[in-house]
Amino acid sequence: MATENITTFPTGLAIGAGVRANPLDDLETVVALYQPRVFRFLLATLRDRDAAETLTQETFLRAWSARGSFREDCAVGTWLIRIALNLARDHTRTGRFRFWKNIAAHAVDAADVASFVPSAEVSSEARLIAQQQVAAIWETVGGLSERQRTIFLLRFLEELEIPEIAEATGLPLGTVKSHLYRALNAIRAQHAAHPKHAAAKNAKEDR
Amino acid sequence: MNAELSSTPHLTEAQFGELLAAPARTADSALSPAEAHVLACEQCAAELDALRESLALFRAATTSFAANQLREAPPVVLPARPVVSHALRSMVLACAAALVLAAFVPMQVLHQRSQEAARRAASADTTPRIQHYATESNEALLNDVDQAASASVPDAMQSLANPGTMNDLSVQKSN
Repeated sequence: MATENITTFPTGLAIGAGVRANPLDDLETVVALYQPRVFRFLLATLRDRDAAETLTQETFLRAWSARGSFREDCAVGTWLIRIALNLARDHTRTGRFRFWKNIAAHAVDAADVASFVPSAEVSSEARLIAQQQVAAIWETVGGLSERQRTIFLLRFLEELEIPEIAEATGLPLGTVKSHLYRALNAIRAQHAAHPKHAAAKNAKEDR
Repeated sequence: MNAELSSTPHLTEAQFGELLAAPARTADSALSPAEAHVLACEQCAAELDALRESLALFRAATTSFAANQLREAPPVVLPARPVVSHALRSMVLACAAALVLAAFVPMQVLHQRSQEAARRAASADTTPRIQHYATESNEALLNDVDQAASASVPDAMQSLANPGTMNDLSVQKSN
């Protein structure tokens, strides 16, 4: 599947004029449209390819079983991400996950993700710096608390609005904001410590 | 205004978070104090731009990486496609349930009524019969008592009933 297909996702499935069918009845289309997004979110959350694959499959099976409860009060994508989030939460709370986390053969390495930085950067030096930044953010996000990481990923990876995140996580708006700001502060601190930015910051302060 | 803003402290953690997390600002919306500060403060503006750029790179790299990993993943196994849509199936099920109820309820009512009628008829029949049996059995008992009272004394008990004849018999035997 081409990368450009999953950078922007449809907010909802188009339904034929005058027909009020459940969009989840056409599961093949739903999977084709949203599998990359669900997999991306689970991969960034769990950092394990095998677990992300399994839970992506499970997300669509759950969605299929519960399609009768989908009331179209949110986009299909948001609803699927909510299912995936619950599955990931259940998965990470099992002792088995904690045991295998450290020795997982399919654990995602920050450098692997960083190597996928878009090649728009002109010089190899700029590309290297961009890769370092991405790897540092990936590491920092991994070190966040489960709740901070989830909220950060929902906002900056899945681009959900804060009220949507509050709905998906079941947390009050204020709590979502405070967790998000703390996560961003951790990233900002790591960012400031990066050699490139630290040098630029010092130069500005000297001026 | 610049002099006033430059004398103020830089953006707080919450203001930075607010600016980074907020959706893109529309041209006609009023500037918040944090946005006004960013316009005046080069240092905060540069830091904000750099962070935004890094977050965009993070998203782009994660998306490309996930897409690459997904190519190697097995396809999602879909459950069998339904013949009718979920909504239609629910409607059909509801209609079937209504039909069953519509057939069952009158039958149940009819059954209850017939049972009640049979019970009433049975209770109406049995009352005089019981009285009849009771009268019959009383009469039979009284007849038995009368027969027993009027019955002649059995042969074996005759001697007890008539002691004189017993003495005659013993005299004849001794002779």
